[in-house]
Amino acid sequence: MKDRTVLACWLAAVVAITFVHDPGVLAGLLLIALAAQGGSAPMIALRALLAVALVNLTVSIAFVASAWLSGEDWMLFVLRLNLRVFLLALLTFWMIRHVDLARAVAPWSSLQFLVVLVIGQIRTFAALLTDYRMAFASRSPTRPPLRMRFGSAGRQAAAMMEKAERQADELNHGMRARGFFDDRA
Amino acid sequence: MHIPDGLIAPQAYLAAAALAVPCWAYAVRRVATALDERAIPRLAVLTALAFVLSTIMVPLPGGTSAHLSGMGLLVLAFGLWPAFLAFSLVLALQALLLGAGGITALPVNALTMGLAGGAVVVGVRSLLGPGKSAWAIVLPVSSGVVVAAVLLALVLGAQPYLASDAHGQPLFFPFGPAVTLPVIVLPHLVIGLLEGVLTWMVIGILDSRRATA
Repeated sequence: MKDRTVLACWLAAVVAITFVHDPGVLAGLLLIALAAQGGSAPMIALRALLAVALVNLTVSIAFVASAWLSGEDWMLFVLRLNLRVFLLALLTFWMIRHVDLARAVAPWSSLQFLVVLVIGQIRTFAALLTDYRMAFASRSPTRPPLRMRFGSAGRQAAAMMEKAERQADELNHGMRARGFFDDRA
Repeated sequence: MHIPDGLIAPQAYLAAAALAVPCWAYAVRRVATALDERAIPRLAVLTALAFVLSTIMVPLPGGTSAHLSGMGLLVLAFGLWPAFLAFSLVLALQALLLGAGGITALPVNALTMGLAGGAVVVGVRSLLGPGKSAWAIVLPVSSGVVVAAVLLALVLGAQPYLASDAHGQPLFFPFGPAVTLPVIVLPHLVIGLLEGVLTWMVIGILDSRRATA
């Protein structure tokens, strides 16, 4: 219940903040959000900053340059954009820290099962991919040419596809053997 | 091509959500009908596959690299609707578990890259016939990537016209299509071509492994 409430509040806050355009109000909300996070605020703020820095810097610098060339004011837009995007990222990382997604979707059993399966499968595929990359790196004492690296990326993707087809069948058999589909009939 | 929260105006993302929800409902029904009890495990594996495929780096000349989107490969291997659903779930998980990409941008990303891009792959592929030559795979996948990039550039480029303040200053993404189209689409001409070649390679590798199994 707590996870679902936090998720719903976060979603409502994200939508509401996109209707706020006053930099003063956005700055106030940002301060409240930082204060509410207590001791974890610096770490969450750093993660949010890293997540949005590239996009925000690129858009802000380009806007400042174009406004400067045309003699227009740029401060208001840059403040508004950066405060809003940073505030939204901060709230998102706070939500990630406090919400267990599988518990949040518990009322929808199929969706919950899907989320749990997907997260488990991502770990399996990621481990296989890491093995492939490490094996390729260990076979390549010097940086391989572009053609070889391209070929390796293709073989990694092919290995994932093969694994996916087998995994889907195995999961299906495992779920049937344990009566999962009988419970839902 | 991930767009974070705060760059798309509510007029755009709410409209995209209104369009995406029936598409997701239709995709769920199609997948459930086609796969019955196999739907959940199949969709879970497909979603995990799409998630991990998007972490595979495509090497670019000059020592840089780009992410494989995997959408063309998924569409060719599993069909448009399962691929669209899996791709949408990947976007949701990236936003909710990693904070990558925005939840408000999710419907826009899903519709442009997942549905429109995927539909172009299917359409061009059906025009070219069922062959497995390089041409018959590279062209549909590249076209899908480029069309998705064009649509995303148009959505981003529409933001200053959709929302601006009393002084005419943009409230969200500030640049129009004259900037977004070349900035987003030109790199995706190269990325699309590389993704097409990689998809053709993967399908070739899978076919040769199946032939020798």
